Amino acid sequence: MSTPIYLDYAAATPLDERVFAVMQPYLAEKFYNPSAAYTAAREVRRDLDTARHELAVCIGGKRDEVILTAGATESVNLAFRGLLEPGDHVVIGATEHDAVRGIAGEYDVTFAASDNKGTITPSAVLTAISDKTKLVSITAADSELGTIQPLVKIAAVIADVRRDRVKRGVKTPLYFHSDASQAAGVIDLHVARLGVDLLTLNAAKCYGPKQVGLLWVASHLSLKPLIPGGGQERGLRSGTENVAGAVGFARALQIAIRNRHTDSEQIRGLRDTLQKALTTALPELVVNGSQKKRLPGHLNVSVDGLDAERVVFRLDSQGVQVATGAACAANKGTRSNVLIAIGASDSMADGSLRFSLGRQTTAVDIEQASTLIVEAIRHEASL
Amino acid sequence: MSRVYVGMSGGVDSSLTAALLKEQGHDVTGVYMKNWTQDLPGMRCPWADDLADAKRVAVQLEIPFKVYDFEKEYKQKVVDYMIDEYKAGRTPNPDIMCNQEVKFKLFLDAALEDGADMIATGHYAATRDGRLLQAADTNKDQTYFLYRVDRTALEKTLFPLGNYKKPHVRKLAEERGLVTAGKKDSQGICFVGSVGIKEFLSQYVTAEIGDIVEKESGHVVGEHDGAIYYTLGQRHGLSLGGGLPYYVVGKDMGKNIIYVSRNLSDESMWRKTLSLDHLHWIDGPPQEGEKLHVRLRHRGLLLPGVFSGSSLELEESERAVATGQSAVIYRGKECLGGGIVA
Repeated sequence: MSTPIYLDYAAATPLDERVFAVMQPYLAEKFYNPSAAYTAAREVRRDLDTARHELAVCIGGKRDEVILTAGATESVNLAFRGLLEPGDHVVIGATEHDAVRGIAGEYDVTFAASDNKGTITPSAVLTAISDKTKLVSITAADSELGTIQPLVKIAAVIADVRRDRVKRGVKTPLYFHSDASQAAGVIDLHVARLGVDLLTLNAAKCYGPKQVGLLWVASHLSLKPLIPGGGQERGLRSGTENVAGAVGFARALQIAIRNRHTDSEQIRGLRDTLQKALTTALPELVVNGSQKKRLPGHLNVSVDGLDAERVVFRLDSQGVQVATGAACAANKGTRSNVLIAIGASDSMADGSLRFSLGRQTTAVDIEQASTLIVEAIRHEASL
Repeated sequence: MSRVYVGMSGGVDSSLTAALLKEQGHDVTGVYMKNWTQDLPGMRCPWADDLADAKRVAVQLEIPFKVYDFEKEYKQKVVDYMIDEYKAGRTPNPDIMCNQEVKFKLFLDAALEDGADMIATGHYAATRDGRLLQAADTNKDQTYFLYRVDRTALEKTLFPLGNYKKPHVRKLAEERGLVTAGKKDSQGICFVGSVGIKEFLSQYVTAEIGDIVEKESGHVVGEHDGAIYYTLGQRHGLSLGGGLPYYVVGKDMGKNIIYVSRNLSDESMWRKTLSLDHLHWIDGPPQEGEKLHVRLRHRGLLLPGVFSGSSLELEESERAVATGQSAVIYRGKECLGGGIVA
């Protein structure tokens, strides 16, 4: 078997070699603690500050508004724990990732419903908000369908609610957070244009290192610390800084944003080729999620009655790596909450496959993979 | 050829079982029995990985695959039984109960209901006309766990691994490229895993600290953390300092007392006559006075003895036979059945 064809970029992206190159010195000779007093350490501190500045520039924020974390899950946890008191009311989208669902479950949570394409409409958010609501968290694009959410319009609705609260003398503040991990390098992440108060990003989803993320927090907000200790990251998240991670993350995000249009165009073209090949060969196959507002690399399909997990295993043995939202064993028997949220039946969820393409996906990959995918679905559907 | 439903656990043995039956031309369906999914402190229950492995092999063999959910029944018939037995001061064997109640009853019935002619498992054992025979690999032979299975079930059961030795099984699995070929064997009671029976029981019972009493003197020589955790003949786990080691020679569950002795030849540690109850015979009881062999634990030695009525007379005294343990009786290669030590 030759090199596998990787079609699971939504789960993890390979580390870009340019990113790896800029990280290496900080894993070796520039190992210094950025808090130390001598010159070599001060240089590392300066490089860390530069990386933080570069990250801030990528999203239109200020350097001191960027909190570096160990990944998106931690960023989301910092946003919720930092802002909220026990019992506070939060609104999250019905298609949020477990990182958001997990921490939101510790508060009084209301889900903003999804339509059947995976879109959380501004009116669905408005319906879920009450006078008690303190935080709204809506992903920029979900990881399974890749449906891009109308964040700007949702932000406008939230601004209306705030004005209305002021008018009526309701004192509860209302904040807007978005987990944009899947969308880095795809949509415009300028925080002022998005209208968010907090933004989560993950290096591991944009060809950077794993266990590196950031939370951008608008400077007018004051958060409680998540990890007390030596006071790093403005005291919110102590622990000696991961300089290699920060430097790598900055480089990865810069590359993603610089190549945003060309990458997206190339990936979208290949994804559309794959979609066409599958829908042509398999008339019973349904494409899940919005086809208009969709991340360029995502293709989520269902075949009613198919055991998609079998297809995943079969393709794996043939060197094609894909994902499923099925009630799959590896996920401890839980069906995808995203597919449930768009109203998919159990048998449609169990028959769902997610293909996510990325920068290294080639036309040859797609040609070979589509043949094998069609063959695998036909084979397993016939059993 | 028949329609065979193979119990696939995600291990190498049941994977090869399915592969061999398919090669023999049977119409094979793989079934994962979902019996237990609870994590324990310090141990993640690997059921989801095992299920995925079983399914991977089924896909590899291009056979249908199903999941039978016996979680509720398994808890009642196997786990609760085990906990109750321990609470009563006995030493039960849950694997025997699992075979009797789940694999060769619930699984068999469900498979037949779904259209199977036969079932198969990866046990190291053999059958002939509904009789149970020891496996060729005497080191792996699992008939000890199977003595309570009914003859009617055995008549509908295939044990394709009965003629193979374990290393050979691994080799055959490797030759076929089965993804489970290199998987480690599971150890001990499946739902207890590596954390040990004490940690498992402590999730379900509230044990109290009690006295450890030296049998000969009647003196309290220490304290234990619950009589339920101690088994006859046990040496380890008694935190008593100095001198010769103490062994458990008796328990009083009512008073929560453990009796210990330093005398290795203490009479209560050695038994020559065993009274058995809950007798189960696969093809009728053995003849009175017939010279037979008995096994008191899995992979234990085959001890010569004579069975009559409900009592087993061993040729030589045996150490540390606890109540609740199974005594399984053999005539040559054949496992006749047995009973539970009273």
